[in-house]
Amino acid sequence: MLSIFCAALLPWLFWDQGPATANAVKQAGIERLYVPADQVSDWKSAAFAAQPFVMEQFTRIPVLGIAHQVDTAGATSAPWVIGNGWRFERDRSGKYYYNVPWHKATLAAAEAYTYGVEAVVHADARDLATFGRMLAFLRSIDRPAMPVLANIGIMDDGSAQTGEVLNLLARRNLLFQVVRTPDPKYDLNVQIGTKEYPKSAAANPAAFAVLVRQKLGDEKRLLRVYGTDVVIGRLTGDERNARLHLINYGGSKVEGMRVRVRGDYAHGSVAAFGTGNATLTDYSAANGATEFTLPEMDVYAVIDLQK
Amino acid sequence: MERRTFLQAAAAAPLAFATEPHEDLPKYRVVTHFQPSAQPGMPGPYSGKVARVHADKAIDENSEKVDVPTIREMMSQGIRALTGDSDARDSWARFFTSSDVVGIKVNCSGAPGIMSTPEVVAEIVRNLSVVGVKPDQIWIYERFQNQVDSVHYDRYVPAGVHIWTAEKSRGSILGYDPKTYVEVNFFGEEDTRSNLTKLVSERFTKIINVPNMKDHGAAGVTGCLKNIAYGDFSNVARSHAGFKTNTYSFVGTLASVEPLRSRTVLAIMDGLRGVWHGGPFSPSRKFRFYPKQMMFGTDPVAVDRLMLDVIDDKRKAEHATSVWDRSMSHIKGGRGYDENPSVDRFVREPGHIEYASRLGLGVYDIKKIQVRKIEI
Repeated sequence: MLSIFCAALLPWLFWDQGPATANAVKQAGIERLYVPADQVSDWKSAAFAAQPFVMEQFTRIPVLGIAHQVDTAGATSAPWVIGNGWRFERDRSGKYYYNVPWHKATLAAAEAYTYGVEAVVHADARDLATFGRMLAFLRSIDRPAMPVLANIGIMDDGSAQTGEVLNLLARRNLLFQVVRTPDPKYDLNVQIGTKEYPKSAAANPAAFAVLVRQKLGDEKRLLRVYGTDVVIGRLTGDERNARLHLINYGGSKVEGMRVRVRGDYAHGSVAAFGTGNATLTDYSAANGATEFTLPEMDVYAVIDLQK
Repeated sequence: MERRTFLQAAAAAPLAFATEPHEDLPKYRVVTHFQPSAQPGMPGPYSGKVARVHADKAIDENSEKVDVPTIREMMSQGIRALTGDSDARDSWARFFTSSDVVGIKVNCSGAPGIMSTPEVVAEIVRNLSVVGVKPDQIWIYERFQNQVDSVHYDRYVPAGVHIWTAEKSRGSILGYDPKTYVEVNFFGEEDTRSNLTKLVSERFTKIINVPNMKDHGAAGVTGCLKNIAYGDFSNVARSHAGFKTNTYSFVGTLASVEPLRSRTVLAIMDGLRGVWHGGPFSPSRKFRFYPKQMMFGTDPVAVDRLMLDVIDDKRKAEHATSVWDRSMSHIKGGRGYDENPSVDRFVREPGHIEYASRLGLGVYDIKKIQVRKIEI
């Protein structure tokens, strides 16, 4: 039952290249997929767990990655990260459809897996093998989910404005959960439209995210990432363990990043897609925080921490 | 939002600064497990003293060819004038022993137009060898690989001398010490750490600082302090945004971090070439000039104080705005600064030199600086 449960969290492939490509799909290690409705029986005949793809059942989400906004003046040259984590936090019961260009299928798969949402990835045919490798990697690291760890509870009115605030919080690794009412387990509860967080302030989501960061204080933050502007994390954990998912939206390997996780975790290990023998270096756990360097990171890494 | 309320942790700056013209000093948190040595290299044993050597033959202004025998003589006379020894070997032996691992902090941000001149660096290496420092104990280092590659130091120094950069690819943090850093939030940037070059904390026992004489669009000028500060830490460009730069306090704060402060024992300012506008870069010769001098000291503030006048005097002679001019009327975004000496990108902060003096890095008062001038 557990394996079935876990497999349900893995993203699906939407494959419209026809049953003639069955061998290639099989070689990629992919056994279940969405296909055009009129091909379902052929794929089933080829021993695949095939389902008809019906676009109306899914929410289409943007192509993910980064955009350099060189013409926009600002305090930082950090590129604009286009990620969907905030969207998934908003609605984890949704079903999502990625239609991604070449080289983006693994990123999509990692993102969907990280947030535990049901997703289907329409991959470029040239990404078939790497997508299969990513699925195998995700299977290899999969384990029962732990509760999501966050600093901020935010009450979501469903508006586009709040959505953009969530987006900006996610980009800054200000870990949040969408809540219905203020919850004291969070360091900060945010309700847009209150005196403390007026709607006028949220009109500038970037400034609003800065305001939230200020009120929270960097020392309290569960996650800090240094050395890169294009990696977004998600943290889960219980009393003794934590799992940190790191997603690199930058499109190329990150050469060195320093991570700080709040809490003293005596032991840490890493599994990184596309990086042979990934290790954590300069590891320290003291004074309420754990820090380590990840010397190299491709599109996705997961760090397991134990107290 | 007020930036200061956003910032965390202890301030490195003395409290008295809070009421002075730069009221909005950022709050710095210095993280290091290194203790200062009994006598930190900066300002060192020759606080407030500078030996200044000028030689008209040092470099040909047309060809930019360097005269090596003259450089050797400048180096010999300069170091002896600083220490008072009659033999240069004795002077070098005051600073270095055969067991030292020596980092030579070059400046290549303006390369290949202006940089720590290879012939000067080679002469430093030769003098280190004379006191027994073996080639493989000598590291010529900088932050950015592409800049150093354009200089080809390897053609000038003996085999075995290391040529090393912290960032083989721009932005990589692997060449920096993750446990020695300055944390500060200038403009709301997410990455708030600037880490010290790993070799400084892990390998070098001594450092020689070899800056150039240059104008700097943000810091006003760049010499010893900025070369050793911004040139040894990661993620420092974040200190400028819009028309505002935090070089005023960041330069001295970085230079004060241990073990950098203790291990930087000698400054040899290479003023064969200079840049009077557009610095720290020098893509064309338009703003390059030729002071044809070198300065020797252990006090980076005193050396920079003298260099400051060299740059500002040259700018005045060229009818450019003074580095001290803080009016907004000539500050413009875009590329105007690169071409027009009456345009600035930032409100310049040449006061960073005085600020560093208040952190104990040296003597700023020009009346208190003893200059030994030598003409060759």
